Amino acid sequence: MPMASQTGRNEGAVGGSVLRLDRVSKFYGAKVALDDVSLTVPDNAYVALLGASGSGKTVLLRTIAGFETLDRGVITLKGKPVNEVPAHRRAIGFVFQNFALFPHLSVVDNVAFGLKNAPGVKLDARAIDTKVRAMIELVGLSGLEGRAVTAISGGQRQRVALARTLVTEPQLVLLDEPLGALDANLRSRMCGELRRIRERLGVTFLHVTGSETEALAMGDQVIVLDQGRIAQIGQPDEVYTRPLDARVARFLNCYNLIEGRVEGRGFATEGRLLPCAQIGPAGAEIYALRQDLIEVAPPAQGPNEGPRLPVTFVASEYSGPSITSFFKLPSGAVITVENHLSHRDPQVFEPGRSYDLTWKVDDALILARGTGARA
Amino acid sequence: MHAPVLKPILAVYTALFLLFLYGPLLVLAILSFQSGPEGGPQFPIVEWSTYWYRDLFGLNPPSRIAPLPISDGLVRSLALALMTTVVSTVLGVMSAQAFRQKFTGSGFVFYLIVLGMMVPGVLVGLGTALLANSFGIDRHWWGTAFVLHVVYTFPFAFLVMLAIFNRFDPTIEEAAWSLGVPPGRTFRKVTFPLIFPGVLSAMLFCFTLSYDEFARTLFASGRDLTLPLAIYGTFAVEIHPNIFAFGVLTTLFSLALLGIYAILMSLSVRRAQRVLVQEEA
Repeated sequence: MPMASQTGRNEGAVGGSVLRLDRVSKFYGAKVALDDVSLTVPDNAYVALLGASGSGKTVLLRTIAGFETLDRGVITLKGKPVNEVPAHRRAIGFVFQNFALFPHLSVVDNVAFGLKNAPGVKLDARAIDTKVRAMIELVGLSGLEGRAVTAISGGQRQRVALARTLVTEPQLVLLDEPLGALDANLRSRMCGELRRIRERLGVTFLHVTGSETEALAMGDQVIVLDQGRIAQIGQPDEVYTRPLDARVARFLNCYNLIEGRVEGRGFATEGRLLPCAQIGPAGAEIYALRQDLIEVAPPAQGPNEGPRLPVTFVASEYSGPSITSFFKLPSGAVITVENHLSHRDPQVFEPGRSYDLTWKVDDALILARGTGARA
Repeated sequence: MHAPVLKPILAVYTALFLLFLYGPLLVLAILSFQSGPEGGPQFPIVEWSTYWYRDLFGLNPPSRIAPLPISDGLVRSLALALMTTVVSTVLGVMSAQAFRQKFTGSGFVFYLIVLGMMVPGVLVGLGTALLANSFGIDRHWWGTAFVLHVVYTFPFAFLVMLAIFNRFDPTIEEAAWSLGVPPGRTFRKVTFPLIFPGVLSAMLFCFTLSYDEFARTLFASGRDLTLPLAIYGTFAVEIHPNIFAFGVLTTLFSLALLGIYAILMSLSVRRAQRVLVQEEA
């Protein structure tokens, strides 16, 4: 698939859609696991599915793979409905969080398993061997072919799981928190590798993760799943800078969410009326402020232009490239401010002293709470 | 409790345990080396000899002691145990596989299966005999008794396999499906190799339980006796040390079986272990 390599971050939709979900619902007894989920996954793209644990993201993935049945809705794969098609005939690859390698087989036998045992494969032993070797090389496992899969490291197991799936040339690869079992260092390296391998093969990855940084870094497109519903679909920067509601914003882990209500042309909270650039959706009662877009200033003197909130300093936390400071609002709510040290020298605050927080009007978002806000 | 107090108590307990476990066998083994043909099945040992072992194989000059009428029983018991092992293990694996998913009435079916090992053997044997008589079915070790052996050992195989499947990671099978491999082939290529140690254990259970089953077989086996029945029959006449010699030999046979089991087991587990050591290093 040579033409695939052109794909940029935002052009995923060019090749049409590989997967479509129409109003898919799934119940476990009275519990709703998936609530009317509709989405389209473009061909040759990296789609990140972001959700907290219990948001239904793994159920969604298992439903697409055919491991679980759905109660309502239609799943369409390359234009064909697959609701009644068993998992082994869907040609969807699945990479498990625990890798689920075949423990009784060696690395090379794990990778060759699909080609050797799937009835649809019409390849002789030589051709299989060539493909398997090439795939092992692509994922960087050369030299480990004969090892037992229990005798290799976590990162290597991850690669075996990936190679085993990719060598069967699935139409779509589902990855269920594939980096969850790896340590942080390895995780960031595998992130890059996954993108590189995907781009080489031109196949679509649907990557489920609970980590917002992973989703933002990996996805051409990010789908945010919340309580079994789609909360937002968009490009990473769009989701990051314009979360649709307060629940998405909270999940992104980089917003301060201040409760209040819209009053006239401002937002009333903490006994003040903060100016707003735009009035949020109806019923909006959360003022969302990104942690890295807040300035700390000495208590207000002189003219009061722009939004401003009085706070007391609580504590700071040093985390390498940035310092996170915590301030208390008059109501007791805590505001987090992140200062990147590359931008300037760290400010020194005195615990218990009063400061003012300021920010640009345009940087603040007025959001709806999120639960039940969508019809 | 403190270790200084606990230790001697545990030591005494262990000693008693070993005594009761191996004491009878030890006495049997010693008496089997009694001199023959005049030596009896009691202490003291007149003279050490292997007379009674040779007696078992008909190597002694003819004497007033009749040879043990157990060779036919031995063959029957081995055949019966093998048949039972195969059928019960297959049934056990299949039903345990079925129980991996919840189905309506699974609780009822579970108790129905397990009932086979709970009900008193004598009653089942007697009931089967009566039933066979009233329906005009001949009782044979390979017929009525075989069915009873399966009913008896199948729950053991089932429970062993249930425990094995309980610890089995189903995502491994899902991984195989997602690679395009159909469920049947997945079972043969992935599931079965992984549950094989459990299958071995289930087979061992079935074999030993069937091999020395007495109560059910007594009523259900009809005219031809299995080994435990034949041995019991010899007690009615006069006990000679040859029965002890036979006991020693069957024990050795059982140990050999266990040895094979251990070897097969370690072969299928070895790779994983070797790997664990490597990982720790």
